[in-house]
Amino acid sequence: MFSAMFDSDPAIETHDLTKRFGAFTAVDGLDLSVDVGTVVALLGPNGAGKTTTVRILGTLTRPDGGWARVAGHDVVSEADLVRRAISLTGQFAALDKNLTARENIILMARLRGRSARAARSVADELIERFEVGDFRDRLVKNLSGGERRRVDLAASLIDRPQLLVLDEPTTGLDPRSRQVVWSTIRELVADGVTLLLTTQYLEEADALADRIVLIDHGREIAAGTPAQLKARVGEQRVDVVAADGAAFERLTATLAPLFAITELREQRTVRVAAPDEVADLARVVDAVQRAQIQIDEIALRQPTLDDAFLALTGKPLAGDPHHAAEEALA
Amino acid sequence: MSTSIPTVPDPGFGGPVRFGGPVRFGGPVRFGGPVRFARDTLLLTARHLRAIPRVPERLLDVTIQPVVFILLFLYVFGSAIHVPGIHYKDYLFPGIIGQSLAFGTIGAGVATSNDITEGVIDRFRSMPVNRLSIITAQMLGQFCEALLGMAIVVVFGLILGWTPHLTAGHAILLGALVLLAMLAFTWAGVLFGMLVRSPDAMQGIGFIVVFPLSFMAGTFVQISGMAAIPRTIADWDPIAALVASVRGLTEGFRSSGSWQLDHPEVAMALWCLALIAICVPLALRRFNRTLAG
Repeated sequence: MFSAMFDSDPAIETHDLTKRFGAFTAVDGLDLSVDVGTVVALLGPNGAGKTTTVRILGTLTRPDGGWARVAGHDVVSEADLVRRAISLTGQFAALDKNLTARENIILMARLRGRSARAARSVADELIERFEVGDFRDRLVKNLSGGERRRVDLAASLIDRPQLLVLDEPTTGLDPRSRQVVWSTIRELVADGVTLLLTTQYLEEADALADRIVLIDHGREIAAGTPAQLKARVGEQRVDVVAADGAAFERLTATLAPLFAITELREQRTVRVAAPDEVADLARVVDAVQRAQIQIDEIALRQPTLDDAFLALTGKPLAGDPHHAAEEALA
Repeated sequence: MSTSIPTVPDPGFGGPVRFGGPVRFGGPVRFGGPVRFARDTLLLTARHLRAIPRVPERLLDVTIQPVVFILLFLYVFGSAIHVPGIHYKDYLFPGIIGQSLAFGTIGAGVATSNDITEGVIDRFRSMPVNRLSIITAQMLGQFCEALLGMAIVVVFGLILGWTPHLTAGHAILLGALVLLAMLAFTWAGVLFGMLVRSPDAMQGIGFIVVFPLSFMAGTFVQISGMAAIPRTIADWDPIAALVASVRGLTEGFRSSGSWQLDHPEVAMALWCLALIAICVPLALRRFNRTLAG
């Protein structure tokens, strides 16, 4: 009772949280702490236990071991208080597809205790704020993924939640919609909303979170600020993208004797370690030009969280290298 | 290589707590107990009712099949079927009504499974909404849809010239039994809808279980003319009780040969009450436990 009134409680606190499905352990002794007013990204590949963790925090799944508290309330014994404190949006925008965008928000507002009139006015405010106006009266089933997400986010903020949980908020969105969702999330964060988001996108965790918790097989692999994680992985590098397969072979042959390189064959990219940063970039450009190799792109890059994951776990993050590359380029 | 880096407490956070914040709308009213249950149930049922005119194909799902069967058996196969003591049209329509009641299970199951796989149920479950009302509304919404579907089928029958011979007492008894059956079969559908993996799986179960049972129930031909095995199944087929009751009450036509057929109204009521007694607690239990993992 009193705990919710004091500021000392973390927004989320879990200890030794465990959830098994038969022989499969989805969450394996996870200790998590999210301070009020921060943005924490739970980053991990598919099947790492992100969604299960979120479902436990949202009172949708009971843990098998350990405990979890949201805004000071136990997710099992005080589930109803947790539900008042939290706003959870699932992996797929969970709206009634046969209602319009506006009707969905009104319904959620009424379920949160508003009168019909108050619900309408809240809905209209949120519609304006999230720029849902253009499609407010269209049925959700006819909206694009990005539009649904915005309606979803608007509906999540009816009662300014103490904790907002977004499960993979941009999965399946095109890059433009992703940008829109990101800027919406940034606005919320600027407002002081405490946010836990899960993502498979390194870029997303990097762009949005104050703190990143890398998880795999239901366990924490590493945690820290994006900068800390990146620092751990070390130096910058130059990525050179060859124009075609033949150019890639020549590029490899040209650069291998001169630099420490990594071949990313599927992306036709040669990654060159660049401890001297811009000076190394200049040397790489020079070598490529002299050999007259056709390239699509050359760039000096900060190490990404993809590299961090590889460095910390010994295996690449998401199984799909194309996707990781796409993210790095976004 | 070291496999972990220390978790550093964030220096810059844990700052001013702003649970309130600048965006503040009129505070929500808190409801408790039965008031909250009733309110949430109404709100959530309304969402199903709104979908009815917007997704007419769903209503078509529950009406097209009976309509096709009516046309097929009345005008294609009907001339080959002879039931002594009753005009075939009057034999057929009560059968269709009984079958439609059972098909309500499939409709409710598919809709429930749909809502679960789409995540909208989980959204409600993660909100401060009375949990019992979520599932009650699920049932009520399907119940209303089944009622509307039934009305359409009956009207279609009347247009084609079916003339039920109902006394006032029989009409009341029939209405009560039909509503009870809808309640029971809708609950069964909600339960199955929560147990299956997908709406398609629900359709599959409907096709494999409900469909054959509805054909062996004396719906289109007399049970007494069937081979031994289907006849034995029909003796225990709840749909046979539905069909026989509707036929008995509307047409005064009674079959015999099993306890069910000798006491169809009692059998129908017992089947429905048993179904409710089994399905409601199981559905509530399933709902309160993990859904979809």
